[in-house]
Amino acid sequence: MSSPKTQRTVQFLDSFTYLTLLSTAGIFACLLVSPIFMRSLVSKTIQVDPDTPAQLAPIQLKKEPIGALRIDVTAAIPENHWVTYEIQLKDQQGQVIASGIKQAWNESGSWAEEGESGTWAEDDLVGGLDVRPTQAEPVTVSLNVLEYSDISGKEIDQPVPFEISVVNGAVDTRYLWTGIIGTAFLAILAILVTPFSGKVIIDKFIGDSDINGRGILGEANNLVRVSVTIKSDEDSPRSLFVLLVINDGNGEQLYSKSHSVHLSFKKSEGGKVTGATGKLSSFFILEPRGSYGFHVEVTPDATVDRTTLIVREHCKTLFPVSVTTLKSTQ
Amino acid sequence: MTKLFALLAMLLAGTTIFYGLTQQSALVLRQDKQNNHWVRHGTQTSGSYRGGIWIASPTRQTYGGFRGGGPGAGK
Repeated sequence: MSSPKTQRTVQFLDSFTYLTLLSTAGIFACLLVSPIFMRSLVSKTIQVDPDTPAQLAPIQLKKEPIGALRIDVTAAIPENHWVTYEIQLKDQQGQVIASGIKQAWNESGSWAEEGESGTWAEDDLVGGLDVRPTQAEPVTVSLNVLEYSDISGKEIDQPVPFEISVVNGAVDTRYLWTGIIGTAFLAILAILVTPFSGKVIIDKFIGDSDINGRGILGEANNLVRVSVTIKSDEDSPRSLFVLLVINDGNGEQLYSKSHSVHLSFKKSEGGKVTGATGKLSSFFILEPRGSYGFHVEVTPDATVDRTTLIVREHCKTLFPVSVTTLKSTQ
Repeated sequence: MTKLFALLAMLLAGTTIFYGLTQQSALVLRQDKQNNHWVRHGTQTSGSYRGGIWIASPTRQTYGGFRGGGPGAGK
């Protein structure tokens, strides 16, 4: 038996898994660069009298490929007040060409329950309108207080302060966040399934420490993953030795190596060890395609309850792995 | 399997980047059909376009406590 060559390689990385991750990163990059399209046009506090709409200076709009005109308004009203306001857009002739109504409120109070008490304060004061122009034209943003009252419904005839900001080229980040969450979910799924990629050739288990399997597999550029899972009882040592032997179709031994496998212990709620599991994954390239036998021996075997052997071919990996190339002379 | 995830992720990324950057959710001025309009901060539009002209919605004109009638009132 010539000594087999083991090499660390990125050749079998799953490019599709990385492409899924790249999609998430791409949207995130868009989210990060989106503010560069924004140009702030107005950012100020104005007082609006309930009877008189307040108008800002006209803004020149034109059709643009990226972003929209964003009008964000925050009503700065005291606690326990309501205000209904309307954001209007007017054209050159003073005709309203778009409008949106926001019912804003700012409320607080106290609560008492089962001997405990405290205060609460909630508000919903921000209103916003995004518009996309279809032609170049000057527009005027106008803010109108439709109703201003305290929580008893008593109308208040006082000016309402508003913080108003008008931005051009605003990008809708809600879509981007949706995309980030969606693609991140797909990326997690892709990462989870990658270790299980490939075609299962051998899938056997035994309630013992020694297991054998044989199957037809291999060829160049075909990554074979040998997974051994050990279930062991509460008296297990910290680690076990797994001897993995691979024979070719003539019974000639191509590989024989003992691997040390660390066990992870399962504990009951009381902190008592109830069992342990260990896992070994080894990667091979077997040439040429043919019949190969796999023999697994776990030592010391006293505590071993169950040994599972799974051999897959045409596998992909998440990280660079060490691959041992075995050549049969059959 | 990962091929399918990658395809879905790229489709989703392309769609959301396109919709986000081109602001498909914004109100398109003077457009009768607003396919993708997505309200921000609970600010409901108080009208709609008919033939490219903004018509204030009837609910707005009968809005409780609202003084006057129609857009631009109080000017």
